[in-house]
Amino acid sequence: MSFSFRLSRRNFMKLSAATVAVAAGLIKYRKQIFKKAEAQQIQEEAEKEDVKLVKTICTFCAVGCGILAKVKNGQFIGIEPWVNHPINGGKLCCKGASINHTVTSPKRLKYPLIKRNGKWEKISWEEALDIIAKKMMEVRRKYGPDSIFFAGSAKVSNEMAYLQRKFMAFWGSNNIDHQARICHSTTVAGLGNTWGYGAMTNNFNDIQNAKSIFFLSNPAEAHPVSFRYIYEAKKRGAVLICADPRFSRTAAVSDLHLQFRSGTDIPLIWGICHEIIKNGWYDEEFIKQRTYGFEKAKEIIMQYPPEVVEDITGVPAEKIRKAAYLLAHNRPGTLQYAMGATQHEVGTHNIRSFAILQLLLGNAAKPGGGVNAFRGHDNVQGATDMCVLSHSLPSYYGLSEKAWKHWCKVWNVDYEWLKGRFAEGMMTEKGFTMSRFAVGAVAGTDAFPETKNMKIKQPAPIKIIFWWGHSTPSIGDTKLVKKAFETVDLLVVVDPFVETAAVLADRPDGIILLPAATELEGSGSVTNSGRQVQWRNKVIDPLYDSKEDMWILLSLVKALDKYDPGIYEKFTVNFGNKPPEQITPEEVLDKEITVGSRAIGMIGQKSWRLKRQQEYDYTFSSKDCKAYGGPCDGEYWGLPWPCWNEQHPGTPILYRNDIPVWEGGHDFRVKWGTTHDGESLLSGVNGQDQVKIDGVLWLYNLETDYKEVLDKNMVPSGRGRARFYAWNLRDPVPVHREPVWTVRPDLAKKYPIYDDSDYGEFHYRVQIKAKSWQDAFINANGNKIFPLIYTTGRQVEHQGGGAETRANKILAELQPNMYVEINPKDANDRGIRDGDTVVVVSPRGLEYGAEVAHIYVKARVTHAVPPGQVFMPFHWGGVFQGKSYINRYPVVDNESLAPYVYGECANTANPVGWDQVTQMQNTKAGVCEVIRADKFNVEGFMAKVKNLAKALR
Amino acid sequence: MPLKFLVDTHSNKCIKDKGCEAICKNYNNLPEGVYRIRVITINEGKPGQLNIPMPCLHCNNPPCMKVCPTKAIYKREDGIVLVNKDICIGCGYCAFACPFGAPQFEKGGAFGSKGKMDKCTFCVEPYNQKDEKGNRIEREPIPRCAMVCATECLLAGEQSEISRKLRERVGEYLATGRLESIFLNY
Repeated sequence: MSFSFRLSRRNFMKLSAATVAVAAGLIKYRKQIFKKAEAQQIQEEAEKEDVKLVKTICTFCAVGCGILAKVKNGQFIGIEPWVNHPINGGKLCCKGASINHTVTSPKRLKYPLIKRNGKWEKISWEEALDIIAKKMMEVRRKYGPDSIFFAGSAKVSNEMAYLQRKFMAFWGSNNIDHQARICHSTTVAGLGNTWGYGAMTNNFNDIQNAKSIFFLSNPAEAHPVSFRYIYEAKKRGAVLICADPRFSRTAAVSDLHLQFRSGTDIPLIWGICHEIIKNGWYDEEFIKQRTYGFEKAKEIIMQYPPEVVEDITGVPAEKIRKAAYLLAHNRPGTLQYAMGATQHEVGTHNIRSFAILQLLLGNAAKPGGGVNAFRGHDNVQGATDMCVLSHSLPSYYGLSEKAWKHWCKVWNVDYEWLKGRFAEGMMTEKGFTMSRFAVGAVAGTDAFPETKNMKIKQPAPIKIIFWWGHSTPSIGDTKLVKKAFETVDLLVVVDPFVETAAVLADRPDGIILLPAATELEGSGSVTNSGRQVQWRNKVIDPLYDSKEDMWILLSLVKALDKYDPGIYEKFTVNFGNKPPEQITPEEVLDKEITVGSRAIGMIGQKSWRLKRQQEYDYTFSSKDCKAYGGPCDGEYWGLPWPCWNEQHPGTPILYRNDIPVWEGGHDFRVKWGTTHDGESLLSGVNGQDQVKIDGVLWLYNLETDYKEVLDKNMVPSGRGRARFYAWNLRDPVPVHREPVWTVRPDLAKKYPIYDDSDYGEFHYRVQIKAKSWQDAFINANGNKIFPLIYTTGRQVEHQGGGAETRANKILAELQPNMYVEINPKDANDRGIRDGDTVVVVSPRGLEYGAEVAHIYVKARVTHAVPPGQVFMPFHWGGVFQGKSYINRYPVVDNESLAPYVYGECANTANPVGWDQVTQMQNTKAGVCEVIRADKFNVEGFMAKVKNLAKALR
Repeated sequence: MPLKFLVDTHSNKCIKDKGCEAICKNYNNLPEGVYRIRVITINEGKPGQLNIPMPCLHCNNPPCMKVCPTKAIYKREDGIVLVNKDICIGCGYCAFACPFGAPQFEKGGAFGSKGKMDKCTFCVEPYNQKDEKGNRIEREPIPRCAMVCATECLLAGEQSEISRKLRERVGEYLATGRLESIFLNY
């Protein structure tokens, strides 16, 4: 029956294609019809060539572009633009446009490999999994469950990310973390503490409604397809303002460029806010009705007049006034940012200051406004929502007993049993993070002079590291990470490519590489930056001997079952205890994720709804992401959370209280009680506390579909106020704090970094220093030895650690170079010419008694960076402090699996300093010196930094 | 009306995401070193920085065609300039004649380039012009570079359609009173 239906449908398609083709000949290039003709002709051409077009989602950045994969005889032969996709409408950057070469790259890891006696050997899946399982149990018996660190991934589907978190929960440790920690963890803390949820408030399409766009990152290179909507807004009269220490490609197309010193985001924003308040340009009504603590914030903000800000940031006061004027007179305005703002010691407060600016202007919670965190990986929003994080269970429930009981109910396991899996008292203890897990492995060893004095808050150090779809180059302090890889008993790297971790460690054995399929060789749901959940279809079967991530994880649980009987049964009880290959992502999404993830309202995103949206893509408008007519009528593309039940259309714009909840209305969350200091924390419009259903708080109630609540136009999470003043944070209102290693010691006196004690005795199980290192650096005149500001960022051709893109022949050809951008003035002062090999030296490593970090790169002399600042892309690996590791890559079937292009990791030289709330690493505001390679030697330089080295230790 | 490319250097400025370069290489199976389209940058790192995608402009009176000694270069009725690789001798005269750097040669050989000339075909032909059976491939003229261009700075289609689109853009600036901003620095 279904076969004949399909047949007749195809005939119909052919027929309609023919009619359109005739019409297209006549009116081919008229507006709209032009588009249709393109899509139609691509479809026709594919049919003629017997090519199947599979709708799928790009696996690079978080815009969530749709791509049509061309498949012929089971081979992935190319891609076509998905013209009807509501977000990108066929638009692609170079990464998406060449994605098939990542999947079919000859550099793919083809078989499971194990390193024995310095050689890579082929090994079967069964054997590999058995070795891992056996070793895990051995470590568990000897050292306890916390001696494993699991680096999860933002590159996998929601289902897989969720299973990673669940896996570590069942294993009995919170030592699991992933890219989000070093990506947007400060967004979650910053925005969450301001208005409830830590995600992008609007979406990419909505940017077109903005009258002003304030860039605090470089979307032209990091999220190119977002420019489809940025230019749409510009066409309608929007003003573009770019704040960036570099003259980036975004700055080049903006109307106003604020070139500030790295690490001074807060004073820059406060300078603008100061002008807005001074001139009375703020939205009084909005502030009165929907916010809390304006007066307290005002006190702080008024300490930053433009002239003071000019001294701190280097931006002329006139430009700050102009920016304030433009933002105030072009409303609604949107604000976007990315890593440049989050990766600082004060990351959380940077983000808070952005939110406060938007609250002041009344730009929050409306179309064309909002604070838009552009996220980095295709599913980093989803993986964050699934909380592959050491401080929370899925859906941001945290680690409280209540949270564990909630998820035990979803998982259908006994809470006491699960508690027994953990070491005493460790169930509610936050685990190690991506930024500092290395300390967990080297603490107490003789790896470096100071490592034996390092302390950790768990009984034994890390003995096994899982490296599952995570890159090494994106993590700071490569030197310590390298040592961690060398110290542990076993390193398991699960990746489609030979990730840098596999070759960085100097060790003859103890590494197992498992070939994961790329995400286009499997299916699952992915959440883009705008909280839009899309279904990614499987394009082809996994190539070579690679396997889908879900299969690998479930098979590992199965292998563990041999030594830990009953674990597989408990792990898969909701999926009928089927064997690994039979459990589908649909089941995981529908039976567990969308049942338990109530705190973010990820309830209505059932797989059948996502697939239906994909089929009827053309019914969605790219103007507002809404479906007009058709079976998805009224739904928003991707059912952005909160999507309260299977009838709810999703919430494309968070906190918008001018439309009914049934149509995507929402409100600031009630999260910190209903009053504070005698003032109400409920909205002045139609305030309401969090909802209890049958006596159970909304987020713990597994039975309800919230229908009765929504019918009354109530929001389950309450209708509260956004907080200017967040009393639970170290700085209730953000204040400027100089980076730990600063080039402006004079300012550090007035604006010091946090005290060491602000981090507590232990911060995510490690000890953190801040003020004492800042003082040491200043007292030893560190800024005279390292006068340049170090910052990092992206190249448009590469992504993350670059394992995928540097192994893609097209992208490798388009961008084969790792370099350091340096201003002609700084270059000439140092005798450096464009193209010279130089060494970028930073004090990193001195604090634990190692030598200075020094990386060898080519100089790119350009005016894009101002004097006193250098910039490096961070995607590179394969070389460590001048030593190439390319010959360490396995050779399989006469093909070296080394990427086409390689270079030094910029993050070898990143500065110390971690966010006080989330332990975000600092990679954006450091110090360094650049020296011509022929003039540099380590010993000579170490003599120069003797005092500094002593002071930092 | 002939089919043309045009680059908007006034309003929708190129951000150099190189989608055009990548999809061109991908869709047309181009070997290393051959770029049928390339984005160049002027005034890099300074105000006034401009990125400009440079495809073959499919000239109405193509200099490459005039100088070709073997008459391998020809212009189709719809305006697309193509090269017949069966008779191209790879002399490189066309590369001299073309003011835009459109003719391409594969990397390698004694002079750093080898083989027959290759150039933008408006996506009607891949690098290897023939299929397994030896028939010349002919596809619809839908340039993928313009389709994927995120900023829509690269326009492709009939000349009349392109000028209409440009007028629309300028019209929006006129309507919002910001016409001067595309000619003067803000």
